[in-house]
Amino acid sequence: MELENALETFHSMKVRSIMPRPETLPVVERDAEIINVLKLLRTRHHVWVVENRETMRLFGVIRYLDVIDVLLPPKSYKFKLGTTSRTMKSLLGGATRAEDVAEKNPLTIEQDATVLDALMKMRKYRVQVLAVVEDGRLVGEVSLRILIDELLRLLRVGGAQWKQ
Amino acid sequence: MEAVTWLLFTIGIALILAKIGDAIIERFEFPGVLGELIMGMVLGNLVYFGLVSPHYLPIVSGQGFTTTATEISEFLAKLGIIFLLFLGALDTDIEKLKKTGLTATVSTVLGVFVPLVLGWFVLMKMGYPSREAFAGGVLLTATSIGLTVRVMMDLGVLKSEVGAASLSASVMDDFLGIALVIFAVGSGSLIELSAKIVLFFIITGVIWWYLVDYYIKFAEKLHVEKGVLGMALGMMFLFAALAEGWFAAAIEGAFMMGLVLSKLPEGKRLMDDVRAIGYGLLIPFFFVHTGAMLNLTVFKNANALVLAAVLTTIAVVGKVLGRGFGAWITAWGRGRDFLFTKENFWMSLQMGIGSIPRTEVALVDLMVAIHGGAIPPEDAPEFIAATLIFITVSVLITPPLLKWAFRREIEEARATKVARKVERIQETKEKIKELKGSQ
Repeated sequence: MELENALETFHSMKVRSIMPRPETLPVVERDAEIINVLKLLRTRHHVWVVENRETMRLFGVIRYLDVIDVLLPPKSYKFKLGTTSRTMKSLLGGATRAEDVAEKNPLTIEQDATVLDALMKMRKYRVQVLAVVEDGRLVGEVSLRILIDELLRLLRVGGAQWKQ
Repeated sequence: MEAVTWLLFTIGIALILAKIGDAIIERFEFPGVLGELIMGMVLGNLVYFGLVSPHYLPIVSGQGFTTTATEISEFLAKLGIIFLLFLGALDTDIEKLKKTGLTATVSTVLGVFVPLVLGWFVLMKMGYPSREAFAGGVLLTATSIGLTVRVMMDLGVLKSEVGAASLSASVMDDFLGIALVIFAVGSGSLIELSAKIVLFFIITGVIWWYLVDYYIKFAEKLHVEKGVLGMALGMMFLFAALAEGWFAAAIEGAFMMGLVLSKLPEGKRLMDDVRAIGYGLLIPFFFVHTGAMLNLTVFKNANALVLAAVLTTIAVVGKVLGRGFGAWITAWGRGRDFLFTKENFWMSLQMGIGSIPRTEVALVDLMVAIHGGAIPPEDAPEFIAATLIFITVSVLITPPLLKWAFRREIEEARATKVARKVERIQETKEKIKELKGSQ
């Protein structure tokens, strides 16, 4: 497919058609230990935090960059009005569970939204990943990695799996 | 034209000095705001002592120095207050606040009520009119949790029952401190003022709570550069205008807008941009401007020192007593048997001491009270001096007092650490023995 056609198709694709299955998402329960979150973040750019795996009710998200706040010692923080929430994430400061470091209420997008909508939202809020939620339950995600994969698949220029 | 040049020069100097002052004071592990205030004080007193003409450094207003340029710098400082409160509210976790326990709630109410009433009463006895005395009491209400959090983190007690309750209580008493200032600066009868407050909270807190989602979705559809940020700030200024018009307290509007916006993920994502505008320009300028308002010649007058001593004493004693008693009387939810125990006494004392520091909100209340006319211009210098003194004293005494109050917990934590170490050494020795035995 030519680049222009591929991009046109790509932009109009529904989020539902490209999002991964829920069981493949990087998910931890809110009371999971931070160490388990860090283990996941070695290979993923974010981890979704859910109330529990049965309901999959979305609690928050921990992004790669949040690890900076987790690893820094409490002394490195500037305690000012409007910055307190960030300063509470330090491991040495007492954060122990995923819920202590997660950003609550992450940005979401509907399953019927298009890839273009997702990209616009990502640019507007400068995020690399959006949660796909149905009645408060996490059912999927759209990340830049997924979008790149999808575009390459359309262009059939990726690995062998895209040429099938 | 020349006035604009010197105004721009002043803003530049103020920002550079603010950041340097902040960095120096932070090295001593005190809130950076103190450094910004000191730098402002230096700048302001260059003018007060006649070393620099006010024309070249238009950072002080009032006291015979008011010009168009100083009015502009005063307005910039006011914007700083608005952004500070907007940011503070945006950072609030409302869901967490809803789950605040009984101990934190009761201790917050008493921790606000005791210094407020004590301050009001004592200042009236000293001859200040009731409205001014009330404004003086309001200055003493809001705790700055930042320093307490840092010290508690260092001591490893932030996750304790006292640490968690202190955090919730301090967020709540910021709310009360910000809300109470309306009664100091608001005009008209009490019924009229109360009606306005109720209507204001219905508009900004109830109706807006349900509409904000649609508003942000509308802003997203505009597809313009920083469209959501611009629309959010626009609405914040409209709320601030409403609050300024009704109570002479624009901060209430900014605070409510931040609070409502904080429930949306889109609102939280605006924080980085708001922080950049706030802490990059307006907020440090506000602190420098406030510091510049302290004319050191005010100390020639004993009144300023007496007022400083009185406010400092009430700020410290009133908070420890109010919040400590509030925590004690709830017995931390453990029933009557716990009420007269030593543990209840110490936990409540720790809670009280954790509430001593005051910084940002006290300064915000002070400026709102001065600009709103609750503190008249002739008394403003001594109130500024007194507030800066009680802020400084409160942040200096809190860390050692907290260390003293938590000494038992620190010792226990140390002992546990040592015991674990000994245990591990013992385990290793046994393993070595086992290995030797098997060879």
